[in-house]
Amino acid sequence: MEGHGFYLAMSYGMAAVAIVVELVALALGRARAWKQVEEERSLEAQD
Amino acid sequence: MSGLAWAFSRDLTLAWRHPGEAMLTLAFFVLVASLFPLGIGADPQLLARVGPGVIWVCALLAAFLGLPSLFASDHADGTLEQMALSADPIAAWVSGKIAAHWLSTGLPLTLLSPLLGLQYGLPADALVTLGAALLLGTPVLSLLGAACAALTLGARGGGMLLALLALPLFVPVLVFGAGAAEATAAGLSASPHLSLLGAGLLVAAVSVPFAVGSAIRIALD
Amino acid sequence: MNFFYFSSPSTFFRLAGRLAPAFFILAAVLAAAGLYVGLVQAPTDAVQGEVYRVIFIHVPAAWMSMFIYFVMACYGAMALTFNSRLSAMMARALAPTGAMFTFVALWTGAFWGRPTWGTYWVWDARITSELVLLFLYLGFIALSNAFEEPRRGDRAASLLSIIGIVNLPIIYFSVQWWNTLHQGSSIKLTGSSMHVTMLTAMLLMTFAAWMYAIAASLVRVRSVILERERRARWVRDLGRT
Repeated sequence: MEGHGFYLAMSYGMAAVAIVVELVALALGRARAWKQVEEERSLEAQD
Repeated sequence: MSGLAWAFSRDLTLAWRHPGEAMLTLAFFVLVASLFPLGIGADPQLLARVGPGVIWVCALLAAFLGLPSLFASDHADGTLEQMALSADPIAAWVSGKIAAHWLSTGLPLTLLSPLLGLQYGLPADALVTLGAALLLGTPVLSLLGAACAALTLGARGGGMLLALLALPLFVPVLVFGAGAAEATAAGLSASPHLSLLGAGLLVAAVSVPFAVGSAIRIALD
Repeated sequence: MNFFYFSSPSTFFRLAGRLAPAFFILAAVLAAAGLYVGLVQAPTDAVQGEVYRVIFIHVPAAWMSMFIYFVMACYGAMALTFNSRLSAMMARALAPTGAMFTFVALWTGAFWGRPTWGTYWVWDARITSELVLLFLYLGFIALSNAFEEPRRGDRAASLLSIIGIVNLPIIYFSVQWWNTLHQGSSIKLTGSSMHVTMLTAMLLMTFAAWMYAIAASLVRVRSVILERERRARWVRDLGRT
């Protein structure tokens, strides 16, 4: 690798981190959306 | 056309009655431009080298200062809605407002720029080019800035958001504007830069008012 | 098939739910193949050595960053001309993924530039435009979330995306012009002709990035639809899937 391993690791590593962060954000957004739906449902159940 | 003239004279009268805001813009312009030598050192060669760019960036920021209030007060007191209901096309009176805004901010900046150029030790021909470039470039800033100001009407975090939207769009104006004076200082012809700025101004002047018009319609919905 | 059938949020919600996993799987398979070809099979570059392998993420990310902005602006234009809610939601769903690819392109470019050009950052036309593109994405995201009324954010951001797509070529041209004037260090990739396996790996990775972008934006648009339509009857009747 003649000393280029660091740069390759930083590039591929950050790409992986960015994708993981986005996937986590997607999951959180999905959970938040469903929570709002549940809240709406429970509000209607009270009526 | 009457809408254009009406909005133009009204905004100009308002600016004339309250000269404080235009004065503040000018003071900000001079102040920021004076901070640079304090920050980077007073070496005359260095100052002459960075002068055009620094003055342009300062003009950019100063032109940006007045944008948040361009439509905000008219939006708050309902004038904007009245004007949108009038028979005149939105693009017409929007052009009038933008022209008045440029006359009260961009033009004073342009007139003041040779003084700042002298502080930076720019040669006489570069001062002329700098003034010409600002004369062509600051209207484009007012036009693009007006589009962003209309988009952010009633938004949370108004000023910062407006900066995030407007400043990237200002990049070409900065490049050609600062490039013109630098080319002159380097002994080259500034006419390509100035022609491109002029072309940009023409295109922006006929197209941007329509974008501002749709942005205002979106804001009023 | 009726073209407008899927333009109703409720049908599109279900369609997106079925399609998203398929696109994720497709993206994973393509990425695995691309990484295998790129990191194992492709030979070491004669000029740059091993570090050229950054190309397999850098170039796909840079392509996607521009392509996604273009698609986003098309959705924005559709949202404004046909006043369709779903197009605006799609534009909104694409923006974070586009910003992510723009960031990855900038980051990997820096870590590729350091060993090959000797510097992390140059004010080169492409790099500078990519940076401006990142700010355009951030502005779009900020504007679309800046209003109490989500429809207002949709329409304002759609218009902004159109203004942005008109300005992008001008920005690129101006930066290119500025760069040639300032005579930045002349940096070119010379002497390395692309090996067939290198090209294959790059194309595989590009398709993987493309499929991933579709999958991620489909998942995101589902969340956006749910939040918007949470009071609608069809959402209330929806089983949690």
